[in-house]
Order: sequence, then C-alpha cells, then structure tokens
Amino acid sequence: MISVQGLERRFRSVTAVHDLSFEVPAGTVYGLLGPNGAGKTTTVRVLAALIAPTAGTVRIADLELGADNRRIRAMTGILTESPGLHERLTARQNLRYYGRLYGLTDATLQSAVERHLELVGLTDAADRRVGGFSKGMRQRVAIARALLHEPRVIYLDEPTSGLDPEAAKSIREVIAGLRDAGRSILLCTHNLDEAERLSDRIGIINGSLLAEGSPAELRRRARPTETRVELDGGTVDAAALAGVMGSLPFVRSARAADARLWVELADPRRDAPDLVADLVARGARILSVSEDVASLEQVYLDLVGEHAHRDPEATRAA
Amino acid sequence: MRPSLVLTIFGKEWREIASNRLLLGVVAAPAVIFAAIPTAIVAFIQVNDIDMSQLGQIEVMLAAFPDLEPKLAAQGFIVTNFMAYFLLIPAMVPIAIASQSVIGERQARSLEPQLAAPIEVSELLAGKTIAAALPAVAATVGVWIGYGLINAAIADPRLLRMVFSPQWIVAMATLVPLICVLSVLLGVIVSSRVGDPRTAQQFGAFVVLPIIAIAVAQFLGGQATFSMQQVFMGDMVVLGLIGALLVIGSWAFDREEILTRLG
Repeated sequence: MISVQGLERRFRSVTAVHDLSFEVPAGTVYGLLGPNGAGKTTTVRVLAALIAPTAGTVRIADLELGADNRRIRAMTGILTESPGLHERLTARQNLRYYGRLYGLTDATLQSAVERHLELVGLTDAADRRVGGFSKGMRQRVAIARALLHEPRVIYLDEPTSGLDPEAAKSIREVIAGLRDAGRSILLCTHNLDEAERLSDRIGIINGSLLAEGSPAELRRRARPTETRVELDGGTVDAAALAGVMGSLPFVRSARAADARLWVELADPRRDAPDLVADLVARGARILSVSEDVASLEQVYLDLVGEHAHRDPEATRAA
Repeated sequence: MRPSLVLTIFGKEWREIASNRLLLGVVAAPAVIFAAIPTAIVAFIQVNDIDMSQLGQIEVMLAAFPDLEPKLAAQGFIVTNFMAYFLLIPAMVPIAIASQSVIGERQARSLEPQLAAPIEVSELLAGKTIAAALPAVAATVGVWIGYGLINAAIADPRLLRMVFSPQWIVAMATLVPLICVLSVLLGVIVSSRVGDPRTAQQFGAFVVLPIIAIAVAQFLGGQATFSMQQVFMGDMVVLGLIGALLVIGSWAFDREEILTRLG
C-alpha cells in the first residue's frame, strides 16, 4: 500500500532524510523509530503529500506522490506531532469541520462524527471547547480527526503521547483494529514497548534507515541469544564453570557474574538440555534456565549510539 | 477553487471570530469612534447658537456648499469630510483579524492538519480572507448607513444626499472591499514572518497612514469629500498594491513554506 524507494529530503544544506526505502503493505503496522531530529516527521510530511521529496519515489496504493497529491491526501489520515486543534471550537465542531474538508457529505458526516467521538470516549465532552481540554483529551480529538474519513493509509505520530494508561490501551486497541481492517499504518513513536507490541515491522532511522525487520528479527540482530542459568551459589564457583563451559563443542562462549552463567549455544533449543546435563554432572544445582534475548530498547540504543559515534555530522544534520 | 470548501473554511473562521470578544471589540471600536466624533460635532452645532463666522475655515465650508445656509454648510462639510476616515475601518480591522487568525493557527499548530486535507492553499486563503474582510466591510457599510441616517435626523435630511452620494456608493462597493483585501494580504504576509499579532498589526500603518494623509490633505485643501475620479484612482492604486502583495503572498503562503517555516 505504501512504497518508499530512495527517499531523500534536503532543507537547503541540511539533509533530513537520505536514501530511505520501505514498504507498508495493507493490513500492517510499520513502526518508525528514531531519536528527535531523525527525520520521522519529515518522512510523514512527505508521505502525506505535504512537502515534496528532493529525490526518490513514493507510491500510495496506485497513486504516485507528486502527480496525485490531492487524491493521496483524501485517502490519508494523519495524526500530527501536535494535536493542532481549533481551540475556540468544540470537539464536535472540530470534527465536523475536518469532515467537510475531507468531503464527507451531510448524510455521512453526522454519523461519522458521533461514531468517532464514541470511539475515543469523548461523547460527553463533545460540546465543550477544546481549549479547556486536557492534553490527553486533545490527543483523543486529534485521533478521531485522523480517522474520521475512514482513510486507507494512516500516519500516527506519537498516538498515545499524553494519554493515561487506560486511554493509551484503548487507542492501541483501536490501532490494532484498524490494522485488522486492512489499513496501512505508519507509526512514529518513542515508546519502544508500544512499537514492539503494535508493529509488524520496524524501521530504525537516523536520517537514513539503520535497520529494518520484525521486532523479533531486530532483537536477534542485536546480539546472539544467550542461555541464562541461575545457580545455587553455595554449591559451585560460577566463574570456574564458565571457563570449563567454553571448551564444550556446542558452546560458543560463556561468562559468569555472581551466581549466574550466560552461555551462547550453537543452537539454544537443541543444546540447552545437554548444557544442563553437563552442569549437573559437574555438581551444579540449577535454580532456573531461560533465554536472554536482547530488548528492542537495547537494539535501538546500540544502533542509534553506533550511528552517532560513527557519523556525528550526519546525526546533527538529521 | 471549490466554493463549498471556501465556505466551510469561512464558516470555521467566522465561528472563531464570533467567539473572540476581544477581536469583536477591535472591529467595533474604530467604527464607532470614527462615526461618533463628527456626529457629536454636528449635534453640538445643532443645539448651540454658534456664531458661524467664528468657525475655523467657514469660508471653505461655504464654498463647498454654496447653496446651503452657513450652519448646514458647516455640518455638511464636517459630515462628508470625516467620511474619509471610514476607510480606516477596512484598513485596520482585517489586518487585526487576519494576523490573529494566522498567528493563532501557528501557535496552535493547526495549519498542518488543515493542509493535510485534500484542499488547496488558495481555498484556505480565500476562506480566511473572506472571513477577515467581511466583518470590516459590514462594519464600514453599517456605520456609513447609520451615520447618514443619524446625522440627517440630528441636523437636516439634506445631509442624506451628501452621505449617500454616488461617489460614496461606488467607494463602498469597490474601494472598501479592495482595501479590506489589501489589509488581509498584508496581515497574512506579515503574520508569516512575525510571532506576535500586535507586531503584525503595527504593519497596518502601511495602509492606515496613507489614508490619514489623504483625509488630512483633503481637509486642508478645502475639499469636502472625494470626487468620483479620485475614488476610481484609489481603486486602481489599491488594485496595484494587491497585485504586488499577491505575488509576495503566493511565495509566503506556499504549502511547504507554511509547514517548514510557520508549522
């Protein structure tokens, strides 16, 4: 549904986005992660036909960016970084205004507004001016506005920012429902847990794409999965055991700290029983065995930190 | 340009203006002041037994209206001469509304979601322009009509013909809306560069000062009111300025420029 190839956007001498390529098929959520200034908002603005790319091609459904911008905007819903509401209007008036801008007719406008007010839990506050709303309520109005015209492509910039845990959960459920209904969703967020829970694929950018894959693929890519063994500390010396483990044919590396062992196995699922048997044979009392997988946060921090270290100029420019 | 969308944007703008009491005060205050001052002078002349020969520039006034008795000639001169200041309403009010609108939207960051909708920038600008200009046109015409009726009631019905003269009918139909458009464009352009509505409104001096200069020159020159030729000349000058501002405005209010600079 969304196809981005070699996207570049420069602002005079500053390159905000460089050689960015990714696909967001229908019925999927693509999480776009990156530090502040990484080019996420610029990317969304380009995809929403708000600003033109300097280079590269973007196709939304069968439409080409640049040639069909008005039609692309009509099929796109966007939650901007800031809610950007009209403070002197009520929530209902805000939604009615945008419904008309997106071409909803009188016949459909009323029901669409009421349905989306209910979706974000604002039916009771619908006739209050949004200027008096809390940050979370404004965010919910903005989400309703983005979805009002039933867009096929949705860009969400920090959708749960400012929401309490209960409201954030309900918004995540809405996003999951939209994905199940076949919408293509690009999710920009700093909330890595949210990105991992919602995204089918994740792209980590910092000016350019640093890494891409499913959350599981990215975690595996960061560092090999290790098998963590909790030992009864009174029985054996963990450091000595780690030294011995290193010589076993199915062990790639082993290290110890306190009464714990971290062992990288050639094939964790195949070799873990042999590891346990060997440790028991050496007199170890094992309290627990588990897989220690890198968190998405670790992956993200490693990639962004490495990029900043390798290319500080590019990081600043982005 | 799709009229239904322009109407939608106008409707939204109008709701926001109508809910802003301070802004409504900005619209009403100059209109009332510019009408009240000459009306008070006319009423003062009417109720007091003034020796007309002591009135400053009475010869000029009598020369402007040789068919009228001195008292009415003085009232007629004051009534018609002050009408030049009515042009300050379309000069001052729209720039206040437009700058409030654009800077308000910049501060609320509400331009981006609107531009993300399938609308053209020209439609957004047209809606905003009409919304900013209409109150000023309505205020000017309303005050003009009230001014004529009240002064005629206070002094003499013959004042009606002076206030509702052909040249002022043409001025209300052409010059006033044109000055409004000029003022809105100036407001939009300036608002795209400054962050404070009051700073933007100070740029209204570029429109206001020439009008004051014309009004003062007219008074000092002993001319009671504009001639038809001067009204048409004013139309041409304002049209030329609008053309120049449209060129600047099309650059300043480009979709990308708005998002990357005004956000």
